[in-house]
Amino acid sequence: MNHAVKLVGLDFGTTTSSAVIASAQVVRNSVTGRMELSQVRECYRSDIVFTPFHDDSLDEERVREYLDGWLAAGGVHPEEIFGGGALLTGLAAQASNSAALVRLIRRRLREALIATANDPCLEAWLAFMGSCTGLTRAHPDTPIVNLDIGGGTTNLALGVNGEVLRTGCLFVGARHIQVVPGTYRIVKLSRYARPLLDQLGIGKGPGDSLTMEEVEHVLGFYVRLLEGAVAGTPHPVDDPVGGLHQLVAFRLLPEMPHAVVTLSGGVGELVYAHLAGKPPPPTTAYGDLGIDLARRLVNVPRWATHLRTYVPASAGRATVYGLLRHSTQISGSTVFLPRQEALPLVDLPIVGTVLPASSDLRLRDLVELIQRSPKGGCLRAMLAGPSWQVVRELGQRIARVLRAQGFPPTHPLVLLVPEDCGKLLGHYITEWGALPLNLVVIDEIAVRDAHFAHVGALQNQVVPVSFYGISAGGEVT
Amino acid sequence: VKALPSLAGVPVPGPQSDQVYSGTFHGQPIAFHGLKRLLGAADYSKSGDRHTGLAAANDLVREAARSLLAGLTLQHLYDHPLTDDRGQVDEVMRVNYDIDRGGFATIAHLTLGELKDHLLGCSGEAVQRVGRALTGVMAAALAKLCDVHELILVARKVTRTTRARTVLGTPGTLSSRLQPNHPTDDVRGITFLCYWGLSLGAGDALIGVNPAVDTVENVTTLLRQLDTIRRRTGVPTQVCVLAHIKTQLACLDRGVPVEILFQSLAGTEQTNQLEFDISVDLLDHGYRTMAERGALKDSANQFMYFETGQGSELTYGKHHGIDMTTTEGLCYGLARRYDPFMVNNVTGFIGPETHLDNGEMILANLQDHFMGKLLGLPMGMAPCYTLHARITLEGQQLATQLLTAAGANYFMDVCLNTDRMLAYFDTSGHDVQTLREIHGRTPAPEFLEWCLHQGIFAHGGDGAIVRGPHWGDPRRFCTSGSEFEDLRSATPAAYGFETAGPRPGDAVQRRLRPNHAVAREAIHAELDVDELQQITPFRVVETEAPSKEAHLGSPALGARLSPRTVGQLRPEHQQVQIVVSDGLSAAAVHHNLPDLLPVLLDGLAGRRLRQGQPILARYGRVKLAEPIAERLQADLVVHLIGERPGGDAQSARSLSAYLVYRLADPEVRKQAVAFNGHRDLRFEYTVISNIYAGGLPPLEAGGGIVEKVSAILAWQAAGNRLEALMKTRTAPLDASPRG
Repeated sequence: MNHAVKLVGLDFGTTTSSAVIASAQVVRNSVTGRMELSQVRECYRSDIVFTPFHDDSLDEERVREYLDGWLAAGGVHPEEIFGGGALLTGLAAQASNSAALVRLIRRRLREALIATANDPCLEAWLAFMGSCTGLTRAHPDTPIVNLDIGGGTTNLALGVNGEVLRTGCLFVGARHIQVVPGTYRIVKLSRYARPLLDQLGIGKGPGDSLTMEEVEHVLGFYVRLLEGAVAGTPHPVDDPVGGLHQLVAFRLLPEMPHAVVTLSGGVGELVYAHLAGKPPPPTTAYGDLGIDLARRLVNVPRWATHLRTYVPASAGRATVYGLLRHSTQISGSTVFLPRQEALPLVDLPIVGTVLPASSDLRLRDLVELIQRSPKGGCLRAMLAGPSWQVVRELGQRIARVLRAQGFPPTHPLVLLVPEDCGKLLGHYITEWGALPLNLVVIDEIAVRDAHFAHVGALQNQVVPVSFYGISAGGEVT
Repeated sequence: VKALPSLAGVPVPGPQSDQVYSGTFHGQPIAFHGLKRLLGAADYSKSGDRHTGLAAANDLVREAARSLLAGLTLQHLYDHPLTDDRGQVDEVMRVNYDIDRGGFATIAHLTLGELKDHLLGCSGEAVQRVGRALTGVMAAALAKLCDVHELILVARKVTRTTRARTVLGTPGTLSSRLQPNHPTDDVRGITFLCYWGLSLGAGDALIGVNPAVDTVENVTTLLRQLDTIRRRTGVPTQVCVLAHIKTQLACLDRGVPVEILFQSLAGTEQTNQLEFDISVDLLDHGYRTMAERGALKDSANQFMYFETGQGSELTYGKHHGIDMTTTEGLCYGLARRYDPFMVNNVTGFIGPETHLDNGEMILANLQDHFMGKLLGLPMGMAPCYTLHARITLEGQQLATQLLTAAGANYFMDVCLNTDRMLAYFDTSGHDVQTLREIHGRTPAPEFLEWCLHQGIFAHGGDGAIVRGPHWGDPRRFCTSGSEFEDLRSATPAAYGFETAGPRPGDAVQRRLRPNHAVAREAIHAELDVDELQQITPFRVVETEAPSKEAHLGSPALGARLSPRTVGQLRPEHQQVQIVVSDGLSAAAVHHNLPDLLPVLLDGLAGRRLRQGQPILARYGRVKLAEPIAERLQADLVVHLIGERPGGDAQSARSLSAYLVYRLADPEVRKQAVAFNGHRDLRFEYTVISNIYAGGLPPLEAGGGIVEKVSAILAWQAAGNRLEALMKTRTAPLDASPRG
């Protein structure tokens, strides 16, 4: 009844890259009745390596070598991989060849795994899940805001009891000002650092050394941005540089104004190491301001108690662990899949949501959108505690629209359903086999507010599903 | 290590023709034809023996049988080995004759009555000497002559210690076998139940899991996990996965640490061979393998573990006319051959067809314990029950008090009395600690030391062992709160950790007991025919069971149609016939049918399959589908029937769908016989189980049943043969059902 699978998580960030490979069991939780991953055991953890940049582009050859080396060291063949994914984050996602690199990673891994760049809300969500899942379950009534602070970006996520409710992203990170290790002599400024220094009246550039006072000014700006975001105080409208640093606005829920703050990412790891009494690395040892930023964050008065009381797991590798454990959802075991060969399906656009109350016109519009999409598409179906009558009626209505539209019988159509009724909905849509369709209905999926989905091949009655292009608002459910 | 004597070398008298045992009792002539009938009638009346006609018709007949039995000499019993249905002495009986012949020579002349008196008056060492000279049949005959005090008194005299990592059975101890079973073998839940049990001071006899899936891969995983738990906690005990002996030996071959080798035993060779797939040769092989390669071969004195219980031979119809107590005695004679580390008795596990109520269960347990101890076995006891018997938690607790007084080596720790996988009710870690405190017992010495170190136990002011500050706190074995939550999230029926003294706190009881009550009510509730008729017009048929009580106590009745129904049903030659019956949970029918049946009817119509008017049967069993299929000449019966409830309210509403395919076509039947290997095969079964809101929801079950029905009719096969055919991916010539 349980079956073994392999999971991978690959993270190419602004500063560093790493990989984790794990084995796991797909089991049915006998309390909730849902399929889930159990016994996730790390079988390989790579060294953290510097992300191989070549000027402003990523060194594809080096990335390929890393990938192959990691998979070989982890003893995993691509065809064994069930879930996980690869992310290009921060400044790596903005490299000129990031799209090509994503394609390379997809070819190297299984096609149906997510491999994507520049998806900050997905990154924020993954970092939260990777570092705070256990913490938030142990404190189910406590809202937690996790700040995943890397080299280029800070991804923010608000979650309660294992569910992420809000995400956001700021261009705050360790590596916007790169310096010569051991000094504050500037080597390089990011496109966000230049206007910041100008606003602060620091007319320095590569080759110049920052004074400690200037460093503190820069750090003060970052800390104010982070504190403001967590407190729900947006940057002032007359602060164009603050606005420049905001990629995705983080909108705190009004009913949760006093969330606990946790940190992850490279800077987060430095903070917790400091709090654990470990000696700090030498001055600018990594050639950036990460060590100094960590020092400032330790001393933020409003967070001091939180940081000492609520310590997340795997801070430094939060994103990669999030990828490993949480990026892939497992369907229920009663999906509607008349032909196993119909899967996998990748990069399916999610065109909208159907409800029992949706009008026929709305159904027709959604069906038309999928009909026009070359790859086919996904619909969310929200049935909230479905009865037989509700499933039958919605299924029969969709069937009528598909017939009326002349929906091509081979065109992929996927329905994603949170409830356990996928098989039945599929039968009613296909009129118990009378209406030929390339229909797949995946149930027991927490349908995320995302733009795209990957649906993997059937393995022992279940299907892996991943989302990307996630919106800041969290889950639809 | 004990040398196992060759079976052929064990002398056994040849079969004798049946003798008539008769006498006149208070003016009434009473006779018994053969020793089997005499032994059966001499026993306390129990449900299983009543069903087979072996139990005495009344108290006078029983006392007559006892008088006649008490007058027989041991030599007489020796000279009349009980035979199988072919009149042969089977291998279990032969093993039973491997006795201390010198000892037997000194007592052979005694009547059973005289021997009983001797045992009541002699020392424990003398009881053990006598025991080595007895066969299982002799021990059973003695048990039938003893009252409750006598069963306890004689057993109490016997100390039987065994040693692996812990020493069991020393005076003043009461051990426990931790049984962290989980319905899906989820190691998180198993780990959680281990931690919980250990925190209660349970598990000194063994930590043993009954696997939900008996494969080498799964059992390997479980053995390694138990080994990890043992090493991580440092607990001095032994671990075991109670898979089939062949599976465990295959694990051992893979290098997996098998510490104690388990196997269920029956008291007849036919049951062992055809139902348990074991033989004396295989058990011998297992014993020798463990002596050579078992994980504890260098440190343990014993390494075999057997489970037995009255009635298994009877329920399989392979008891050869021998009563339940006697076949149980024969099990012990077989177990004795292997000098086991522990023997666990689970009388009460089967249901009301063997033991109907508290009295029958309690007496049977005392008999079993008496026989086992007399024959020299380290007896652990698991007085247990299912909810369709009239056995209650209170009856089980009475049994444990008496068995502790009788000197049982250990009881089970099934967390909060609810086995989450086997759907039955056993003793708990709380119970074991309660008994220790009432009877002044402690765990095995090595385990006690570990518990003291852990703060699970402590030294009281007067030097007594008392519960320590960490008793009942499983969190202490977790590295973090999130690990604890992760483990708990996968554990059903975890109703809380509050305690009151050695007992679960009242808040826990108030959550636990209503769940049991709902489950028991589900069994005893009647089908509401009028309500079900609102879903679809049923035709109602009768089985041979005239009442709920008869239905629960005698499974065969619900598998047959009443003569009146037989007369009413005529051949209809439909493709599909839906049958609904209560089985062991009418509640399951009422909770699932309103969603499931409309889907099923829609789906069968949508697939254009011809179906007869649905049938509703009160007091039905699974096999009822067969006579209905025969009478109606239906190709396939979809039998929707309530499952035996476990311990929580939700799963008490669990329904199964048995898709019963009639092998009407001679060519198809030939293929089925070739595949399954049974010459008399007339039906093939596909089962979809666990249909309820927390398992497979009825809506999805409806769709799944329609898919399977279509596949069965298209492929003209069901069960494993269907799955094998579908794996070939070669579509049948005509895959579409006849419409």
